[in-house]
Amino acid sequence: MSFFKNKQNKNEENESEANQQTNEEPLSDEVMLNLTKLQTIFSYPTNNALQIRNLFLPIYDKSIVVLSIEGTVDVNLIDTTILQPLLRKSDGSLPNIDFVSLLLTTILPTADAKLITTVNEVQQSLVNGSTVILVDNEACAVSIDTVKFENRSVSEPTTETTIIGPKAAFNESAAVNRSLLRKQIRNPNFFCDPVTIGQHSEQEVSVMYIKNIADNGIVEEVIKRLKAIETDAILTLSQVEQYIEERPYSIFPTTLMTERPDRAASFILEGHVVLIMENSPTALIVPTTFWSFIHTVEDQYLRMPYGNFLRTIRLIALFIALLTPALYIAVTTFHTGMIPTDLMLAIAATRERIPFPVIAEIIIMEVAFEILREAGVRVPTTLGPTIGIVGALILGQAAVEANLISPILVVIVAITGLSSFTIPDVSFNISIRMLRFVFLFSAYLFGFFGIAIVGAFLLAYLVSMKSFGVSFFEPLSPHYPSSKDLLARPPIWKQWIRPMSMSPKQKARAPKPKGDGNNE
Amino acid sequence: MKRIILPLSLASVLLLSACGDKLELEQNAYVVVIGIDLNEVDEHLIDVTFQIANPQVGSSAAGEAPNESPSDIVTFTTTDIFSAKELANSVITRELSFDHLKTIIVGEEFAKNELFHHTIASALMEPQMRLENTLIVSKEKAREFIQKNKPELETRPHKYYFYMEQRWKDTGLVPHSDLNRYFQRTSGELFLANYATTKKEEQIKPNEDDYRAGEIPQKSGDPVQMMGAAVFKNGKMIGTLTGEETRMALLLRTKSLTHYTIQSLPDPINDDYRISIQLTNGNTKVKVDVKTDTPKVNVTVPVNVQVFSNNSLANYTTNLSNHQKLKQSIEAHLEQMAMKLVKKTQEEFRSEPFWWYLNARQQFWTIDEYNKYDWEEKYANANVDVKFKVTIESLGPQIKPEVINDK
Repeated sequence: MSFFKNKQNKNEENESEANQQTNEEPLSDEVMLNLTKLQTIFSYPTNNALQIRNLFLPIYDKSIVVLSIEGTVDVNLIDTTILQPLLRKSDGSLPNIDFVSLLLTTILPTADAKLITTVNEVQQSLVNGSTVILVDNEACAVSIDTVKFENRSVSEPTTETTIIGPKAAFNESAAVNRSLLRKQIRNPNFFCDPVTIGQHSEQEVSVMYIKNIADNGIVEEVIKRLKAIETDAILTLSQVEQYIEERPYSIFPTTLMTERPDRAASFILEGHVVLIMENSPTALIVPTTFWSFIHTVEDQYLRMPYGNFLRTIRLIALFIALLTPALYIAVTTFHTGMIPTDLMLAIAATRERIPFPVIAEIIIMEVAFEILREAGVRVPTTLGPTIGIVGALILGQAAVEANLISPILVVIVAITGLSSFTIPDVSFNISIRMLRFVFLFSAYLFGFFGIAIVGAFLLAYLVSMKSFGVSFFEPLSPHYPSSKDLLARPPIWKQWIRPMSMSPKQKARAPKPKGDGNNE
Repeated sequence: MKRIILPLSLASVLLLSACGDKLELEQNAYVVVIGIDLNEVDEHLIDVTFQIANPQVGSSAAGEAPNESPSDIVTFTTTDIFSAKELANSVITRELSFDHLKTIIVGEEFAKNELFHHTIASALMEPQMRLENTLIVSKEKAREFIQKNKPELETRPHKYYFYMEQRWKDTGLVPHSDLNRYFQRTSGELFLANYATTKKEEQIKPNEDDYRAGEIPQKSGDPVQMMGAAVFKNGKMIGTLTGEETRMALLLRTKSLTHYTIQSLPDPINDDYRISIQLTNGNTKVKVDVKTDTPKVNVTVPVNVQVFSNNSLANYTTNLSNHQKLKQSIEAHLEQMAMKLVKKTQEEFRSEPFWWYLNARQQFWTIDEYNKYDWEEKYANANVDVKFKVTIESLGPQIKPEVINDK
């Protein structure tokens, strides 16, 4: 526990330091003084990010300074919505008000202009991509939203591919991501709460949920945890995830990352909360239960029997990925009577010439497979096929012919590896692959007994795990009424109820379907 | 410091426990067949024969060893199976394992000795011995039987017994016998074990299932014949049944073990020929009346019959009186066979292999009352009536057999 304490103490020290830097200094009415202050902050001219334009407006008889940061603004937008209106003479007569109000109400044709009064606000506006106008003899500035960061266009999902279903994926722009979600959910109660995190480089995390579905407690908990993050900068949602999850040391994830807007939307409609952040091509869904890790969107898009078939296959594959090497080792070292005699003799015949015990043999292969998989991710695309050839040789023919491993082990490792690819979620996938080794060792030491013990511990751990107050196996256990979209899914029109484990404010999506013996 | 010591000691407990007696798969020698005989010199000793499968023959090509034989057969003379297992390591390099033991073969001479039950019962204390092991009684010494059994189609010895067992379930020529069933029927009831031999005393009989092992006229092929049953009572072999009797014994049980049997019966129209039928057993109904001193047993056996071959070429299909005659003749023949068997069990064995004791036992409130009634003794004098109810399902796809017309 001392771990946590140390971390907290350190954070407290940092806090006082950070507070000093962010003190609120008002703007002075001397425009050059303000400019000098800002130039100091941005180390102008050593750092040429700050772009300064001194303008004299003869129409209004005013000097102004237009400031922006290179690379964060849309230059065309500045020209058309700020500079041109300022320099053009208005047709009618101008209302008799002060110049700053005139700027905000009449001259600038944009809705995103606001008045700011402190140096710090100016600085924040600038780094966030706004253009700031400092006006002579005024102790305030006008900030106009002209943000434009470079962005990838909306492309197809890469990790959560489907055959049918929408092909749009989130990209690195929070605005685009929010727009993709709003495209799915057209509801005035679809809320987006911005929470600012990070002390040095402030980033905004959008907490998105439907006000009249999502449980207040869950939303508040999420916002509370986000606000409790104390660090100078957070770059992506993956880091946010590690800050707000319940068990950072656990090998099981309690939050879900998805790159599919349709998937995120379906979670929002069940009362979950979705976090969106600039620079993250994914949405973070909280709370998450076990079921969301074994489901894919396609289960719902396909017809009910097809969806259930695929889901069953995935479930079987999950157990194969987790247990096959352990079962093999348990059976061959402790329970030889269980294998059909012919298979046993075949294994024994090939194993006679292999110099290692079964455990060494299986570890060699499993580690080789993990290396191959990791290499496959890191290898440059042009070398991809090489990996395939080398892998097939190492894992297949050659290792067997060299008497390093027995042929049946190739089958075991191949089916295990293949099965692990069916697990849709990356985090869950890795946790299963790690657990496989735990099962392997326990099976080597105690046989089926060991597998049973580890399995019991694992189950006990999983049922005691919680994600934002929701147990990992809810709504199955503890049981709550739900649409029963758990191990298998009912037809879509029978999924009229929302999972009560999320304590949604609106319990039902649709009126209860009539007839045909619907019990819940 | 504590935090390090605790996991370390736990880890050492994990690493040092349980795996001390572990052996890798290939370090074991797998005994697939055990043969047990009475020793010729000392009556208190037994000869235990192990047939050990050689994994390197007949399995995957990767581990093939072409010049080795598929199994190793060794015999040791000891007091029981497990001392033989220990003794075996004076000859055999690997530790013997009974994990894949499928078949136990017992010489007839040994089966008739008291020592049989003691040896088998004590062997079961070892966890590797399974109750599912098939029990076969060989007419000659089990050692000779195992050595002579060289099936042409099967390289692996265990495969031979496995396939044979599959067929027994269907044919019913030998009973389905394993240690489990043996131990269920050691007190009074008859237990039927497979009867087999490699010694031939050929006889030719018109009825193809009326043989005991060794009597079947067979030219060439594997010398082993499995036919009929060895009858055990109170843990001792007391006699044998032919294949036909074995089938009938299985058919008269409330829950028949055979799926279907093909057998031939005399043709009711023409005495020179026989017709082949396939019998499928319905639900045999057994009614036992134990109110009187001589119990009454009424057995009704509904059987479905399919006629397969009809050598006399008589018309049974369109001629309804022939049809009726055939039906009655099958019923009469089966009843006669059944009564003959019942009589044999009553007189010769003085007990029954039909599990009728289960029906009798139901009628008593307590086991004590049942024991007092002494079913076994009463059965020997019981009035048994067996009725067959034949339904002829089909007479073959052709309406009439092709008859060559005389010119």
